[in-house]
Amino acid sequence: MTDELQLIAAAKAGSAEAFCDLAKLYRERLLRFLLTRCASFADAEDVLQDTLIAAFRYIHSYDARWRFSTWLYRIAIRNAAKLRGPDLVEVGDLRDEENDPLLQCIAASETENLWVNARQLLNDEVFTAMWLRYAEDMSVNDISKTLDRSASWTKVNLMRGRRTLESKMSGATDRSEAYG
Amino acid sequence: MAPQTEVKPMDKLAKRLHEDAERIEVSVSDELDRRIEASLLAVTPETTRQRPVASARPPLFWWASTITGIAAAVAVIAIVNWQAPDQPVADVPLNIVAAVPAIDLKTEAAVLTSPLHEELDNLQSDLKKAEEKVRRDIGL
Repeated sequence: MTDELQLIAAAKAGSAEAFCDLAKLYRERLLRFLLTRCASFADAEDVLQDTLIAAFRYIHSYDARWRFSTWLYRIAIRNAAKLRGPDLVEVGDLRDEENDPLLQCIAASETENLWVNARQLLNDEVFTAMWLRYAEDMSVNDISKTLDRSASWTKVNLMRGRRTLESKMSGATDRSEAYG
Repeated sequence: MAPQTEVKPMDKLAKRLHEDAERIEVSVSDELDRRIEASLLAVTPETTRQRPVASARPPLFWWASTITGIAAAVAVIAIVNWQAPDQPVADVPLNIVAAVPAIDLKTEAAVLTSPLHEELDNLQSDLKKAEEKVRRDIGL
């Protein structure tokens, strides 16, 4: 964390090298998240690049009271939404099953990945809240800040998302027991 | 015997989600890494917010408007003083009285009432003639 703060301070002073080192701490995590929100791997890479550029350009506006990842994810979500355009409400609307970047990245996995189901069952914002909570271990306050929502909204929708996925999991378990 | 700990479904779900997220295999390619690094080196971060730049302008405008206002006021005062008459302000009512033509109210009243006076005279002469006629008739 101290290293991160030092890198942020150096980046605020204008050091691109420091920001490159800082970006290396987050780029895989951001790209993994963007794969769930973009139509192709290339789009996810473009959004990652745009996000890091915007973050460096406006690093002076970063408020150290919040986690750096919170700020980065907020920029990434905006950039991904910008790429999709205002008319496309849900990510699933533009997804091609064969070229789905998320499916490509988990193709080697033997078991069913719950995030694929989550993306089908939950709307974009609830999915993002779930991802930030369980993949990124963010606090409710950080998630609220990232999504620009109230803490109560975040809590309620996290609970709804969990219930939806729990019912999905229990249904899958019932089926496997029935056929097993 | 160790006590049985019941695993809550919520914890199970959270664990599963965390593990599934980790199973999404992703890596940043060297090409993308170079691309990002080159882009970042070309970017110049904004070290100052726009707000201070915007707030630097009002004092300039304030001074400019103040100086312009003072100059305009001085010019107006100078012009007014140059065009002012030499006579004191107290003489102005006298000049106005002299300039206004005096109206002869009596003349006008006589002109207006002369027909009535003529009528009165006629009536009085008619009355005298009538008295004289009556006196002649009764033999006085």
